Amino acid sequence: MIKANHHLDAKGLACPMPVVKTKNAIKDLEEGLVLEVQATDKGSKADLTAWASSVGHQYLGTVEEADVLYHYIRKGSNEPKVEKAFGQNISLEELESRDGLILDVREAAEYAFGHIEGAKSIPMGELESRMQELDKDEEIYVICRTGNRSDLAAQLLADNGFKNVYNVLSGMNEWNGKTTKDF
Amino acid sequence: MSEKVAIIAANGGLFDAYKVFNIATAAAASEKEVQIFFTFEGLNLIHKQGMHQLEMPAGKEHFAEGFKKANTPTIPELVEMAQELGVKFIACQMTMDVMGLTKEDFVDGIEVGGAVTFIEFAKEAAPTLTF
Repeated sequence: MIKANHHLDAKGLACPMPVVKTKNAIKDLEEGLVLEVQATDKGSKADLTAWASSVGHQYLGTVEEADVLYHYIRKGSNEPKVEKAFGQNISLEELESRDGLILDVREAAEYAFGHIEGAKSIPMGELESRMQELDKDEEIYVICRTGNRSDLAAQLLADNGFKNVYNVLSGMNEWNGKTTKDF
Repeated sequence: MSEKVAIIAANGGLFDAYKVFNIATAAAASEKEVQIFFTFEGLNLIHKQGMHQLEMPAGKEHFAEGFKKANTPTIPELVEMAQELGVKFIACQMTMDVMGLTKEDFVDGIEVGGAVTFIEFAKEAAPTLTF
């Protein structure tokens, strides 16, 4: 199952209820976090996709399991502001010829719906507590959706003694290569 | 794109009610400013008693089962939800006078106005829908 920060049960409800409930549920969610909407209304996929783009959220994807649709929506589409850029960057093209670890700091659900094969997932919010999973001497290429979260993550790693950290620009948004799904 | 949706509800059957309130709540949930102008039979849709017993078109009564199976919200539920989402209801003064109705005959929170009130809103709305 894909990890989300909040779950909404809209099973058995007909249009327009799944959208109305989603609107109410997402209000309480922190910007950048992921809502899972469980629905049986077959129209809910098209509706929530359109709704998210019209209201300004990021529709991540839908998984169907035993007649239940699990939709994933990330609140807002703004990325955090970067005050002072990390500086040590690498382009997506260069990334393809490098060895080392690709560290994907997007939310788990964003990662699940498409990531570069072999990339390791640690959401930005968990990085501080999970840093010990990483090797300080390895080359680490930090990636997110647009290059902002990864910039903050790269700075955090560098501040903690990681020597070979790069921020990948611009991010999965621009990545045209192969992706792997994880569910 | 306009952030306003204007709806004219001029018919008073159950199907009409679903068309009006489904579009209205969906638009409001998408953060549009929504106003519905209720006129003639459309006033049934927000009438305190009338909205509980809206009729299906003649010969279509068998759809009652379909509504139940699809688990659609009831019209009074949709009315409440629409109001919670900030949809504004305007009842047509002229029609109310013709039909001998007063503001108290309708759900709370409505406004009463004439065509101009609505046109003023609708001139900036896209789309304007009529049911």
